[in-house]
Amino acid sequence: MDESTIICKCEEINLAEIESAIQSGAHTFDDIKRITRCGMGPCQAKICSSLVREIISQSLEVSLSEIGLPRMRMPLKPTRIAALAGKETSSSVVSVFAESAPKEGDES
Amino acid sequence: MKTDLFIIGGGPAGLHAASVAATYGIETMIVDESFSLGGQLRQQTQQLRNLPKSFKTQTGTALAKQMIEKLRQLDVTKLVKHTMIGTYQDGRIGVTDGHRTIPISANKIIVATGAAEEACAFPGWTLPGVMTVGAAQILLNREYVRPGKNALILGSNNFALQVAKQLAEGGVNVKGIIENKERMEGNETETIDQLQKIGVPLYFNSTIQRAFGREKVEKVILNHGHKALEMDVDLICIGKGLSPILEPFEILDCHFTYEQALGGWLPVYSLSMQTSNPSVYVAGNAAGITDMGAILLTAEIAAVSIAESLECVNNADADKTRKLLWQELEQIESESFKRTFQARANVVKRFQEETDLSQVNGQ
Ligand SMILES: Cc1cc2nc3c(=O)[nH]c(=O)nc-3n(C[C@H](O)[C@H](O)[C@H](O)COP(=O)(O)OP(=O)(O)OC[C@H]3O[C@@H](n4cnc5c(N)ncnc54)[C@H](O)[C@@H]3O)c2cc1C
Ligand code: FES
Repeated sequence: MDESTIICKCEEINLAEIESAIQSGAHTFDDIKRITRCGMGPCQAKICSSLVREIISQSLEVSLSEIGLPRMRMPLKPTRIAALAGKETSSSVVSVFAESAPKEGDES
Repeated sequence: MKTDLFIIGGGPAGLHAASVAATYGIETMIVDESFSLGGQLRQQTQQLRNLPKSFKTQTGTALAKQMIEKLRQLDVTKLVKHTMIGTYQDGRIGVTDGHRTIPISANKIIVATGAAEEACAFPGWTLPGVMTVGAAQILLNREYVRPGKNALILGSNNFALQVAKQLAEGGVNVKGIIENKERMEGNETETIDQLQKIGVPLYFNSTIQRAFGREKVEKVILNHGHKALEMDVDLICIGKGLSPILEPFEILDCHFTYEQALGGWLPVYSLSMQTSNPSVYVAGNAAGITDMGAILLTAEIAAVSIAESLECVNNADADKTRKLLWQELEQIESESFKRTFQARANVVKRFQEETDLSQVNGQ
């Protein structure tokens, strides 16, 4: 692999960008996501998550079992806003999204 | 909508769990995001090895048809083209058909969402013509489209080997299977023999240096030992294995553990296939990557255990059935890869340790 190899297809993030995020102190998938947008594309990290964790594991010399999973949020699949909002005023969008608000203790 | 048992995923695990549960008299609903049931079995034209005793040897596509037919005769609500996208604060499951989101309340849930294929990055891997072995299999066996003329397969696990053989039989010139280790990962001797007969070369200690092409893959350079090898191909199939789909478990507050032999991260579960969330059970490849026999048996164990907790069968009978199923699971799973069953036993042990610990802490 060379430095320009794309790792996150959806957001077009390459190996160099991920390695530089790691050098700036990133050590989880979510750290890298916040710095580079890697994992924020339409597939929501389904394709790049393992590739990135592999790179973290190699760069930081830690085993894959110590690199946690990305935080997964609702809606789990691309969903039209209309499908979430419904027609009623007491719409389900509030409850669906309310649940995905950060929990206490979560990093923001 | 309301139901006693809600099954997410209509692949072999979900279908089998549904028919066992319905036979126990449990009110059952099964949902799948696809337009038809059958999951990833629908393009598996190979003969399935090591099925449980109660199934006759057959191809994947035949088994899918058989299970769907069986379900048709049972009182099970089927929701196709519906995707589970989240949960409500009161615990109900949110399912959408693309137009609206429907809350579903269920006593018990089985998550049988299967597995996703792993990617592999190399320069040129984003070119059209590079796809997973599963994608090539869908094109060939479900859509009857040849995904390329000259193919290279990356990876030598059983799934990759099966697809290599299916492509070759479907008229694709399979120019090689490359494996970065020094020996084959897969162990299905029949498939290996047939690939040898067809004359597909195997390259060990090899990786892809780069794939080239204008607008699509045309050429690939391999690192083969110390040499560089060039090949003209228009199809590269990545067969780097599978990992359990986890999103629904996180949304349902299930704890995870790591077992490489089962595909990496997965939910912890008990001998009943119950996760750390007492109303959520797991079955199939979502409970760890394995063979079809074990996929069906984990589904049956989950269904029997739910029947027990909903008092559709007494504890003694459920216990007896569960023991027999675990025995068969150990036998079937150890036959192909010993470490798979070992890893599964570790997962169950970790579930037990977590439960003991929370009892000590009085939680
Ligand atoms: C493309 C592909 C090809 C494969 N081919 C082979 C092969 O040739 N040989 C082999 O040994 N293994 C193969 N596998 C592995 C496969 O995982 C197993 O063979 C088997 O199908 C797993 O059964 P399952 O019931 O656990 O999951 P699946 O068969 O994957 O079924 C899961 C179902 O859940 C549905 N689903 C997932 N998430 C949601 C959601 N949020 N809401 C609603 N529905 C959802 C999916 O649509 C799917 O129908 C393949 C996998 C893939 C992805
Ligand atoms: S590949 Fe990274 S978000 Fe899709």
